[in-house]
Amino acid sequence: MTVYLVRRLLALVPVLAVVVTVVFLLIHLIPGDPVGVMLGPDATPAQIESTRRALGLDRPLYEQLLKFYVRVLQGDLGQSYFLDRPVVTALVERAEPTLVLTFSALLVAVLIGVPSGIIAAAYPGSFWDRALMLGALLGVCVPGFWLSLNFIYLFAVRLGWLPAAGYASIFADPLAALRYMVLPAVSLGFNQSALIARISRSCMLEALQQDYIRTARAKGLSQGVVTWVHAFRNALVPVVTVIGITMAILIGGAVVTEIVFNIPGLGRLIISAVLRRDYPVVQGVILVTATAYVLINLAVDALYVVIDPRIRYE
Amino acid sequence: MSLKPSRRAVLLALASLALVAGTTLTADAQKKGGILRVGNLGEPPALDAHWTTASITEMLTNHIYEGLYSLDGNNRPIPMLAESHTVSKDGLVYTFKLRQGVKFHNGKEMTSDDVVASLARWGKQSVYGKTLFSQVAEWKALDKYTVEMKLKEKSAIVLISLAVPNNFGAIYPKEIAEKFAPEVKTTEWVGTGPFKLAEWKPDQYIRMVRFDEYKPRNEKPNGYGGGKTAYLDEVRFQPVPEVATRVAQVETGELDFADDLNLDAYDRLKKNPNLRPIVSKPYYWLVAVLNKKEGLMTNQKLRQAWQAAIDIEPIMKNVAGGHTEFYRMDSSLIPPEIPAWHTKLAGLPWNERSKEKVKRLLAEAGYKKEPIRFMTTQEYKWMYDFALLTKQQLEDVGFAIDLQVVDWATLVKRRNNSKEYDAFTTGIGAFYDPTHANFLTASWPGWTTDEDILKLQAEMARETDLKKRQALWEQQTRQFYEKVPVIRYGDLFGLRAIRNTTKGFNDKTERVRFYNVWVEK
Amino acid sequence: MSEIRRFARNRNIAVGAGVLALVVLAALLAGVVSTHDPRRLNPAERLKAPSARNLLGTDEFGRDVYSLVLHGAQVSLLVGVTTMVLTSLGGIVIGLIAGYYRRVDLVLMRVMDGLMAFPAILLAIALMAARGPGIGNVVFALSVVYTPRTAMLIRSTVLSLRELDYVQAARALGRRDLVIAFRHILPNCVGPLLVQSSFVFAYAILAEAILGFLGVGVPPYVPSWGNVIASGKNVIREAFWVSLFPGLALTLSGLALNLLGDGLRDVLDPRLRVQ
Repeated sequence: MTVYLVRRLLALVPVLAVVVTVVFLLIHLIPGDPVGVMLGPDATPAQIESTRRALGLDRPLYEQLLKFYVRVLQGDLGQSYFLDRPVVTALVERAEPTLVLTFSALLVAVLIGVPSGIIAAAYPGSFWDRALMLGALLGVCVPGFWLSLNFIYLFAVRLGWLPAAGYASIFADPLAALRYMVLPAVSLGFNQSALIARISRSCMLEALQQDYIRTARAKGLSQGVVTWVHAFRNALVPVVTVIGITMAILIGGAVVTEIVFNIPGLGRLIISAVLRRDYPVVQGVILVTATAYVLINLAVDALYVVIDPRIRYE
Repeated sequence: MSLKPSRRAVLLALASLALVAGTTLTADAQKKGGILRVGNLGEPPALDAHWTTASITEMLTNHIYEGLYSLDGNNRPIPMLAESHTVSKDGLVYTFKLRQGVKFHNGKEMTSDDVVASLARWGKQSVYGKTLFSQVAEWKALDKYTVEMKLKEKSAIVLISLAVPNNFGAIYPKEIAEKFAPEVKTTEWVGTGPFKLAEWKPDQYIRMVRFDEYKPRNEKPNGYGGGKTAYLDEVRFQPVPEVATRVAQVETGELDFADDLNLDAYDRLKKNPNLRPIVSKPYYWLVAVLNKKEGLMTNQKLRQAWQAAIDIEPIMKNVAGGHTEFYRMDSSLIPPEIPAWHTKLAGLPWNERSKEKVKRLLAEAGYKKEPIRFMTTQEYKWMYDFALLTKQQLEDVGFAIDLQVVDWATLVKRRNNSKEYDAFTTGIGAFYDPTHANFLTASWPGWTTDEDILKLQAEMARETDLKKRQALWEQQTRQFYEKVPVIRYGDLFGLRAIRNTTKGFNDKTERVRFYNVWVEK
Repeated sequence: MSEIRRFARNRNIAVGAGVLALVVLAALLAGVVSTHDPRRLNPAERLKAPSARNLLGTDEFGRDVYSLVLHGAQVSLLVGVTTMVLTSLGGIVIGLIAGYYRRVDLVLMRVMDGLMAFPAILLAIALMAARGPGIGNVVFALSVVYTPRTAMLIRSTVLSLRELDYVQAARALGRRDLVIAFRHILPNCVGPLLVQSSFVFAYAILAEAILGFLGVGVPPYVPSWGNVIASGKNVIREAFWVSLFPGLALTLSGLALNLLGDGLRDVLDPRLRVQ
């Protein structure tokens, strides 16, 4: 297994290289002069020229790309034009809310999705099965951001049960943090819970039809034990895959959720950076989220091997 | 155990006395303290008052900095950091005496060196500073608490320029004023104001705390000036870009104050028992600025045609969310809240809504339905609203409008490039002297270079007699409507909301200030 | 004929295709079936609740929501179809090349992996920031984001088919690769490609709405579901119908396409069945 992991880690390198290259190219896709845009309306031609030279933008493209690689490897993502601080600092400051949101949404998705899928699989064709799967189908199709608006209207405005927007840090005020996180986490996690429910159900069904389950039943083990202990473990593999994919989708979906609920995370940061033409920050956020996704996939793969020893990677 | 009646009486008396004293004491003690949470439209581009005219910066910097003068309840200049001033007989030399014992947030005492350095910097960067200092021949310190300004010619705008709150002559310590070149934003923020900057976390919050060594002036609070007391321990400004969120948070109490709210929320806010909505006047008058340097809008007849075509009231009504208390139809270029300069002229070609006149002017202009590039943004909803409505009204009478919706940062950048647009939307906020009308200058986007207009502006800068200036301004207003440098719509008011637990807030000043404000739980 | 029967019998396909057809019809006939010009501002009629005159109410400018939703379908479908076509074409080309030529494959796969590491919406936002608003740019951004997934699909199909006997035989006989690709391999890709396409279509419609909602999609005065939901967001308490109906339309379209995709998967590749 270690060999496998090491090989996977090595395979990451070219992927990350591509990621860095694409991120680098983003800024050069802009028609016109990025420096003029960055410095703003009152910049003199002399200032623009000196900034170009300072940023190394007058060197040939491949040389700039190389320099970009070096800087990234050193952990230097540049300086934010608007926030007057290193991009890395800005990212670190905003990471917590996004991480909390993403994990809360993941929790919601798993806690709703997995049991739903299992229950549906345990009683296939029943009313519950059909109801849950219908719900799951709708859940996949409902736009998350629209759901957010409706949640705010219902729970915050009409019923007044929960706050309409905002964020409190868990470390500062756990109870408030919880209250603020409920609506965002549920609206973000809802779509994914539906997906997880459907996949869980299908994997469980498949697992339940395996020979050894029939044997266990024949031996007389009760339905509950059979379902939960034996089938679950086997269903876990594809479910874990989906969870990995879910992370990626959540990272993207977090952007809109943060906007609607005014959560000061990376999503809101990238939107305001885009509006303010703060390209280093845009690059930084994209780079970090892409890298996170790649690493999460690696972790998911490693988890595979742990969960199901039958799987061996050549 | 029962007490003897007399003893009981004494104890009762003592108890009630303690109760009364306690309540009085607690009532006063409640005044001081507390944190106020304020919701803003967004992040300030800088906390350097000299550097930008952005209104968010204006609000924030006026808590931590002060200028030599300030504006009273009638928007006239009164002394703030200055003690008094004298003017020489020929009107060319202004001598300012500074207040003594005024401390900066870093403990240093404010002296003439700081004033000279700060206003010199302001004079190179600020819109109002540059206008004033173009008339200044010499600016120096005479002694520790006296500064002297020698003018090239008589000027009507010295005090008012030093008193305007936006992009104002904030007094910094000399070291800071000299460390940062005028075109570079300061990154150290030390002032003399009743609050000092405690922490700035961009996109999260700006925290200002009471400056304990602040020495308020003796007078009662008067407009933006007079005595300023920081009752609050802290004011926390949070950027909440989504207007729906800002409203929601003030309704739930997560914010104590929010500004720039959408007018549709007014009815709902009125009904809420925990807060009250405030109509802030004058806010802005809506304007379409026309590119007179190159392109279609260099044609005066075409500009006049636009002016003659629009039906302003339905536009204002829609922008105001259907509420008549939020707009005002007025042709004066300076609102009635600044009484010295408000004009009531008849017969101006404003809001004429004359289809025949439009047809005639379009024909005279030789307009062949070329698309007019009209830039706007959704970040200020009212801008987008009146742009969209204008487009329809103009197209109904024969114009072709190419509406370009961009973000505010792009609009601000593009409006400096005469090749990129023909018109753009913005609002003109209150300005306190006719010479501060940026839309009547050659350097502001739109580039008003009409000789007659510029001549009158220069004359008003020199003329010191108020009545004469007012006559000149009326003349200028008539000229404005004839030459049409920009298209004036109506006046829009803003909506603010404040929790009832926040006391002492001055509703009348158009700019937002949190000194003299306290919270009562 | 029996092929079509097989498709029609599957309930998912029937319902999904039916609803989709309705949406397409609404989009195509928008000009005819609308009650108003969706771009016509009518300030006097702002924020009116659904009535006989305005079936689904009006928005803050007095525009008719019903007409806006119908015309919005045009943008959504246009973006969806174009993205689907572009990703399919791009995916086929890249997938074929990757599947066939080992050495190129190595490089291409890393690139695809790299591209897929970006959360779709974030990449689209960044691309839109670079290129500006406009329907062409929305399609471009979405195509860049979704092509790798299609390419991977085609590639794996190619890889699995390449080793089949008749393909080997064809190669041995000297048939040119391109011909083999077209005659033997591509027809087998059609199935998975169709399935994938329905989902890409669904994602594209949703993504367009999200971009519009965030203000980085098509210009705001162009009727699109995302734009209308965004404009309704600020008046959700006074006029919940503005955001409600385009949201329902989005959900419905997503439903149709997901059902279609599920159904196609059932019929074309029972191995992939999600029971």
